[in-house]
Amino acid sequence: MTEGLELPAILDLVAAPGLLEAFTGRRGQALVVNGASVQRLGGQCLQVLLAASRAWAADDVPFAVAAPSEEFAANLELMGVCAADLAHRAPLAGKEFGE
Amino acid sequence: MEDPMAAIRETFFQECEEQLAELESGLIAMENGTAEAETVNAVFRAVHSMKGGAGIFSLDALVRFAHVFETALDKVRSGELVASPHVVGVFLRAADVLADVVRAARDGGQVDEARTSAMVVEFAQIEDGGGVAKAAEPGAPAPGETLADTPAQIGGWEILFTPRPELYAKANETAIILRELKRLGPISVELDASRLPELHELDPEGAYLTWRIWLEAACAEEEIRHVFEFVEDDCVLSLTPRGGEVLAPAGFAPGTVITGDNGFKFEFFPPVAEDEAEPSPEPEPEPEPEPEPVAARAVAQIVPPRPREEPVHEAPKSPAVEAMAAKAEAGAAVSATIRVDLDRVDRMIDLVGELVINEAMLSQRVLEAGINRASGVAMALEELEHLTREIQDSVMAIRAQPVRSVFQRMPRLVREVAAQTGKQVKLLMEGEGTEVDKTVIERIADPLTHMIRNAIDHGLEPTEARLAAGKSVEGTVKLTALHRSGRIVLEVADDGGGINRARVKQKAIENGVISPDAQLSDDEIDNLIFLPGFSTAAKVSDISGRGVGMDVVRQSVAALGGRISISSKPGVGSVFTLSLPLTLAVLDGMVVSAKGHTLIIPLGAIVETLKPRGQDVFPLDRDMNVLALRGGYVPMVDVALALGYSEAPIEPEQSVALLVEGEGGVRAVLLVDAIHGQRQVVIKSLEANYRAVPGIAAATVMGDGRVALILDVDAVVKTARSEARGAELTLDAN
Repeated sequence: MTEGLELPAILDLVAAPGLLEAFTGRRGQALVVNGASVQRLGGQCLQVLLAASRAWAADDVPFAVAAPSEEFAANLELMGVCAADLAHRAPLAGKEFGE
Repeated sequence: MEDPMAAIRETFFQECEEQLAELESGLIAMENGTAEAETVNAVFRAVHSMKGGAGIFSLDALVRFAHVFETALDKVRSGELVASPHVVGVFLRAADVLADVVRAARDGGQVDEARTSAMVVEFAQIEDGGGVAKAAEPGAPAPGETLADTPAQIGGWEILFTPRPELYAKANETAIILRELKRLGPISVELDASRLPELHELDPEGAYLTWRIWLEAACAEEEIRHVFEFVEDDCVLSLTPRGGEVLAPAGFAPGTVITGDNGFKFEFFPPVAEDEAEPSPEPEPEPEPEPEPVAARAVAQIVPPRPREEPVHEAPKSPAVEAMAAKAEAGAAVSATIRVDLDRVDRMIDLVGELVINEAMLSQRVLEAGINRASGVAMALEELEHLTREIQDSVMAIRAQPVRSVFQRMPRLVREVAAQTGKQVKLLMEGEGTEVDKTVIERIADPLTHMIRNAIDHGLEPTEARLAAGKSVEGTVKLTALHRSGRIVLEVADDGGGINRARVKQKAIENGVISPDAQLSDDEIDNLIFLPGFSTAAKVSDISGRGVGMDVVRQSVAALGGRISISSKPGVGSVFTLSLPLTLAVLDGMVVSAKGHTLIIPLGAIVETLKPRGQDVFPLDRDMNVLALRGGYVPMVDVALALGYSEAPIEPEQSVALLVEGEGGVRAVLLVDAIHGQRQVVIKSLEANYRAVPGIAAATVMGDGRVALILDVDAVVKTARSEARGAELTLDAN
């Protein structure tokens, strides 16, 4: 069964621990992350998102980001990440140095 | 959980107010030619700091306007733009707009876009070719944007940026920094997430990402460092000019600067003097001369971090930040000032007040017990008294502040009122450094604002009238603060037409304030304008007539234990004088008795004490005697009579006389039964605890636990004089 996870509007340092918990609690289940209300994305929530995306890929469980808001997409892009890249099986966002 | 951002945001806006004040005082110094070399830097810093803070909170309108303003100021700093009176005038108006933008951001109000846009246009106009305005647009730095002394890197830059957890804990964000970089020119960003741990090992408050940013802009390193200046200690940062030779992974290209984990900076430059090479830790982007890179050999120079004061808007909230703060302390960072909640200071002042009373009571008990003055107890008590006094002075000093904070609001007020009335006004200020208790400062702003509005609106004549009177077109309003007799005196003087006494008197008769046959001195006529319901203006103007008359000003001043008076010369101008106690907490007073009542007379008002001789006393009229004193005559006031303690006047020869001086230098002799000594007393408000009593300023608790009243010397003297003359001015109306 596919679970949904609605991201809060402000993904700043305060939101990061809760977000990590939300992902950890849904580990192993197919997950659709709804980013429609996101207005701000900070570096620490980005880390959680990236780690979650990797974890789902490692578990080989579907993971997708749905309906990212304009701000969410723009913030991801600004920080060198494409929303689509977060989905499972897609190459991990961001190249590693030396690649 | 308390939102740490809200607290930081609040502190940011408090700091903005300070920066705005700093900005305005600097610009005024530039305007009147008293600016020093550092002034323009201070002005720039103020705007730059506000911009930096605003970026953290995504206050885009504020960031945008501050950026344009800062760019123009930077040109003055670099000598590209001359700070002519016109230019400084534009800056002053811009400071007003900036203040509005800050307050709109704080209160969630709307920014007046038309006003900010007009200001941006003005910035463009003061700069030939409008380069300043263009510089505000992202991606297109005008040629002038580059600091004159700093070489620009034509090929762009490669920036390696690795935030540390502290960066996030201090509410900074990568996205904001990247957005700021975008203002300098097009960027492409590559994210390195190779250090990112597994989800179950991830610390949500950790920092694992590195960004490599290519900036396509011919900008100076200094400009990039501006962007990072608030986070430079909380990240690993390297800047490499593009087109330069990039070394193998083992090393860095010449010109690379790395801020290491422990705060040390590794500079891959030839060694240079520390003050030249180290980016300033203050929010002060001084252009630093950048040495030519040495291609052949990279030399690492280790520069210890300079201890820095932690900005308060980074107030520790999370354990991570607290740890960081502790680290900063361990690093011998000594902060020069601290912010303390005013309630805590007030509580301490209350307690010290109680201590003073307690100490007085103890002295009284010792005296009553008949203990020898030379005894150890008496001497220890004396020391205690001395110590109490010192504690009290120190505590009061914590709250003492220069009136500058209030004065700084006045130039803007004058500009606005001048614009509204179409008058040209020059504001002169003197004595901004005069210190007064914070409780008083907070409450003088409103009366002062009203007095200045009044001086411009009613005091200064219209331009035509000034010209006709042979005066300069520009009217002058002078605001002065000074200490006099243990009080603070504020004067608002204008060089206008003075009070139209005939009209004032006529109006007072019409309103039934005085009887038609009352004989009033010029001074008394002038002071009629402070009576309730009194206005000579045919219609209420938008400027000073905002439903607040001078009587309300006087009442609010009186509630502070202060007085307001006016002196006016036809054709020359008027001076409003506001006199207030330096503090609302304690008072040095003379303890006297009148018909069995203990009274305190403020020491500041007493000139001398004397024993009147019968031959020096002369009756002036039925109720008033005068005392011949060194060739002059001073009216005598029987205190017990004036306060209604007694019906029969005291025999002057049986009394003790105190020569007092009130506002405007008015002297009188107060007659009391006896003087019991001098004492510092803690003021307890009568209004707050009972009700206002005419002739009494406040009350206090004496050593024996009894309440003593503090005499309002001015009110008593004025009333006695007025009554003697039969004018219908009573204490209640005064």
